[in-house]
Amino acid sequence: MNFDASSLVDSEFGTVDRRIFWDKDIYELEQERIFARSWLFVAHESQIAEPGAFVTTYMAEDSVIVARGDNDEINVFLNSCPHRGNRVCFADSGKGRQFTCNYHGWAFGLNGDLKKMPKMGLYKNTPGFRMEDWGLKRARVGNYKGLIFATFCEDAPSLEDWLGDFRWYLDAVLDVEPGGTEFLPGGATRSVLKCNWKFPADNFVGDIYHALWTHLGGAEPTLGPHGGVVVDNEGSYQVSVNGHGWEFNHSFFGNAATMGDKEIIRYMKSREEAITARLGQFRAKMWGAVSSATIFPNFSFLPGYFTFRTYQPRGPLETEIHAWTLVPKNMPDEVKDRFRRGSMRTFSPAGILEMDDGENWEHSTTINRGYVTRHQKLCYAMGADTAVEEDLPGKVNAGQVSDHNQRLFFKRWAEMMKAESWADIPLAENTLDREAAE
Amino acid sequence: MNATANKKPDYGSLPRLTMEQAREAAYHLLAMKGEGADVGIDLLHRIERFYYKEARMLDEERYQEWYDLLADDLFYWMPLTESRFRRDPRPTLSPEHMAYFDESKADIAVRIGRIASNLVWTEDPPTRHVYIVAGIEAFETGVPGEYEVHSTFTQYRNRGENDEATLHGRRRDLLREVDGSFQVVRRLILLPQSVLQTKNLSVFF
Ligand code: FES
Ligand SMILES: [Fe+2]
Repeated sequence: MNFDASSLVDSEFGTVDRRIFWDKDIYELEQERIFARSWLFVAHESQIAEPGAFVTTYMAEDSVIVARGDNDEINVFLNSCPHRGNRVCFADSGKGRQFTCNYHGWAFGLNGDLKKMPKMGLYKNTPGFRMEDWGLKRARVGNYKGLIFATFCEDAPSLEDWLGDFRWYLDAVLDVEPGGTEFLPGGATRSVLKCNWKFPADNFVGDIYHALWTHLGGAEPTLGPHGGVVVDNEGSYQVSVNGHGWEFNHSFFGNAATMGDKEIIRYMKSREEAITARLGQFRAKMWGAVSSATIFPNFSFLPGYFTFRTYQPRGPLETEIHAWTLVPKNMPDEVKDRFRRGSMRTFSPAGILEMDDGENWEHSTTINRGYVTRHQKLCYAMGADTAVEEDLPGKVNAGQVSDHNQRLFFKRWAEMMKAESWADIPLAENTLDREAAE
Repeated sequence: MNATANKKPDYGSLPRLTMEQAREAAYHLLAMKGEGADVGIDLLHRIERFYYKEARMLDEERYQEWYDLLADDLFYWMPLTESRFRRDPRPTLSPEHMAYFDESKADIAVRIGRIASNLVWTEDPPTRHVYIVAGIEAFETGVPGEYEVHSTFTQYRNRGENDEATLHGRRRDLLREVDGSFQVVRRLILLPQSVLQTKNLSVFF
C-alpha cells in the first residue's frame, strides 16, 4: 500500500487525522507495519515459573503460546497448527509436556517443534516431508527484568535497542527491590471495548490531563476533589524514547494513595530509604507517583496501582484489554493482597477509576462513522516542548501536563507506517549499553 | 451506616473484613453445594420476594436502600475465571486470585459514593437496567436464621443510543434473617465469561 502517513500526523504543532482511528485499510497496514515489526509484551516470567508451564496470549490478532521449556528457556510460537491451521491450545494457562492439536492429533513440544502424529509412518514415507519443517512458527524472544517480549520480525533491532534508554526509567517499577517482580496470580482481567487501540495507548503514554476531569467522580468518594492529588507542571516530567512514553511527578505514592488504603502507604514509606539507595532519588520518587506509561505500541502501565496491560487490537473499532498487577516479589503477602484488592478496585473492568475511561475511548472512536466528522483533525497541541535542567536519558519535557509524549507516540506511529522496512525506521541512541561497554 | 447521607462519609470507619475473615468467607462460599435441607415453602416464598425486591431496587438505582440490605460482615465476591484443561489440578476459583469484586461493606459504600457524587460522567445520563432473577433455591445451614440460597440472573443494561450489555450468571448467597426481613451476608457471583464481553461492570449484582 502506498501510504503517506506523514499527511495524517503533524507532530510539530500536534494534529492527528481521525481516519487513523476508523479506517480499515489503515488498520490492516498497522498489522503489518506496526504490530508485526514491534517487540510486543507477551508475559511476565512469573506466569510460567516452572518448565512445562505455559500461557496463551495474543500478539495483536495473532494467537501465541508462551511456554517454558525443559532447559528453562522461554519459547514463544504461533498457536496455530501448520497442518490445517486449527488453534492448538485452548487453555489460558497450564502445565504440560506437549501441545496436541485437536483436529488430527499432531503434537508439538514446549519449543513448538513437531514431535509426532497419528499414523506417523505415512509421513515417513512421504518424499520431501521433514518433521523439522512443520513446527509451530517461533518468535524471537527478549526479557527485560522479568517482562517477556516477542517479535516475529527478523529485521527488528534487539529488544535492548527497541526499549533503549527507556529502560533506565523502567527500573523505577521493575527493579525497586532485590529479587525482581511478579504478576499476582489468577490470570488477566480481560474486557472488550468498542474503541480503537490507539486511544488507550495514547491515554497512558502522556495524558494525565484527562484525570482531572474524567476521574473526578471516581476519586472523589475516597479522597476528596481530584482524589487529593496535585497535578501541575512544577517538578513533573514527560519522557519519550522511540515512541514509548512516561508522564510522572515525584510524589512517590501519589497514584497509590487513590486506592484509599493507608496500610499500602505506610508500607511504601517504609521502603523509601532502601529504594532511594538502590535507584537514586530521581527514580525512587517515581515508584508509585502520579504517572502513567505506554511501551510502544500497546503495552501500558500505571505506577502505584501497578496495573500492567496490553491493548489488543480487534479491528479498527474494537480493543481487548488484558490487565495484570505487578508487585515486587519480596513484598509481604499481606501487602501484596492489599495491592491485589486496591488495583482491582481502581483499575479493572469493575474499578472505580477505569470505569470512567472506557466510554470516552468508545465514543472518540465510534463518532467517526460520520463522514464529515472523521475529516476533522484532532488537537494534540497542548504545551510547547520545554527542556529540563537535569541531564536525563530520552526526550524529556518539563511538566507532565502536555501532549509532548502523545505527539512523539504518533510521530513514531507515522514513521513505522511509512517505512518499507526496518532500515527506514529511526532508532534513538542506546546510551545505556554504550556507557556499560565503555 | 449511611453511605450517602453526607457527601463524603468516613469510609475508614465503615465495616471491613480482615484478610483472614474474607478468606474464610470465600472458602465457605466455594464449599456451598446446596446440601442442607430444603427450607419450608413459606420461607422459600419470603426469600423469593426478597430477591425480586432487591432486583427492583437495583433497577431503580435505589442504592441506599439496597446498601441497607447488606450485613455489616458482608463479603461480596466476583472472582475471575480462566479457561483451563480438565486435567489441570489447580483450583479454578481462589480468593488469592485477581477478581472483579472482592469487597467488604465499606468498599460497596465507596462505589455508591462514586455514583452519588454526580461527577461520574459515564453514568449521566443514567444507564437503564433490568434484572431478572430466577432459579431460586434455599437451604437450611444448621445456623438458625441463616440460609444458603442459589439463584441465576440476567442483568441487562442499556445507555445512550445503542450501548448495551447482557450478563448472565449465578449467585450463591448466605442470607441472614433480621427483624422479619433478610440481609446478604456473603455473596459469590459467578460470571461464565473468561473475557468480559463488555467494557465494564458499572453495576451491582
Ligand atoms: S489441523 Fe492440526 S493436526 Fe490437523
Ligand atoms: Fe483514565
